[in-house]
Amino acid sequence: MIRFLAISLFASLLVSCTLRTTEGLRQVHFNKTELENPYFSNPEIDYVYKAKIKVYSKNFGGILIVKKTGPESHRVVFTTEFGSKLFDFQFEGDTFTKNFVVEDLDKKFIVNILKDDFKLLVNESTTVLAVYESTNQRVYKTQSDERFNFYFIEDKSEKLEKIVNTSKTKEKVEIVFASAEGKIADTIVIKHSNIKLKIDLEKFKEE
Amino acid sequence: MRNYFLLLFFIGIGSTFQAQESAMNASEIVSFKEKVIATAKTTKSIKTDFVQYKHLDFLADDVKTSGKMSFKAPNLVKWEYTNPYQYSVIFKEDQLLINDGGTKSKVDIGNSKLFKKLNQLIVNSVKGNMFNDADFTVSFFKSSKYNKAVFIPKDKKIAGYIASFELLFNKNDAQVYEVKMVEPSQDFTRIIFSNRTLNSTINDSVFSN
Repeated sequence: MIRFLAISLFASLLVSCTLRTTEGLRQVHFNKTELENPYFSNPEIDYVYKAKIKVYSKNFGGILIVKKTGPESHRVVFTTEFGSKLFDFQFEGDTFTKNFVVEDLDKKFIVNILKDDFKLLVNESTTVLAVYESTNQRVYKTQSDERFNFYFIEDKSEKLEKIVNTSKTKEKVEIVFASAEGKIADTIVIKHSNIKLKIDLEKFKEE
Repeated sequence: MRNYFLLLFFIGIGSTFQAQESAMNASEIVSFKEKVIATAKTTKSIKTDFVQYKHLDFLADDVKTSGKMSFKAPNLVKWEYTNPYQYSVIFKEDQLLINDGGTKSKVDIGNSKLFKKLNQLIVNSVKGNMFNDADFTVSFFKSSKYNKAVFIPKDKKIAGYIASFELLFNKNDAQVYEVKMVEPSQDFTRIIFSNRTLNSTINDSVFSN
């Protein structure tokens, strides 16, 4: 009995140690070493999205504004529907600047979550560590500090469809993009697996 | 130093070109206030369209949203954005009733002084009657097109969010036609009203979610 328990425990440990993200995928050779996220890469465009945030059972709305302000920099501003700023972040390479955060949100763990999420969202270029293949997607594994990011790119359209941020063993954050033409995301969903946080973004319609 | 003076000079020129605006004198202020207060007293309801421009210095274009606003005396207000998305907020007693594209929620603002202040500001700015607000230093300006009241918060906490709050009034009917909220960073939000209907009957059910 004890041996059975020990084996089951060991087996379950083994299972939980495998990352779900690449389960069943085949690792392949690759020659593409840099990976690009095209969705916030044009400095000419004001990227403006209606945002709906659900944290546990609470709902918040707002407007997310992203602008590429330099070769390696992005400004990310979140306002209420009335226009008052809730936060204003600047990403420049690896440097993060908190220009403004409204008092109620200005807590270290909240700012860190927002910082990590939006860095993952706007980060344009990363070095590829490994490549996997599924039936219709290529999955590029990249390093992100202590963690990894997996970029899912559809074979035919070459559109970036999903980014999954993981630790060695667990998926942490998932960003799903829907884009009609592949250069601007029409909708974006940012979903956390360890906390009940979901951010839905929908691009402002052109007038 | 010379550059500095040049800069001041151009800023001066710039602002005079923008609007032929001057400060009101004491008697003008008195009569302007009287007119606004008299108008606010007879205003039982307002229905109006609005366009909102959010200006951020790093953007190519202001973020534009638009919709309808309804006010019913003494203190019911509904802001309804219809373009490019559906979103409405009803200010009712100590609550905000929000409908975000079908997702409904309630926010209690009873114990938040800041929210109460903002709520009061919105209600009063719609009517224009907020000159007796002890929380602001008010100054008055006039031009050929409009009268303007500029409110600067005294409270440090509010000043952290709003550097100033400007109301532009029509010369003839003393109604607010533009609200501008300037942030400490100098980014601002402008709301311009149009197609205003005064004192029509608005059913109370408009102010429920």
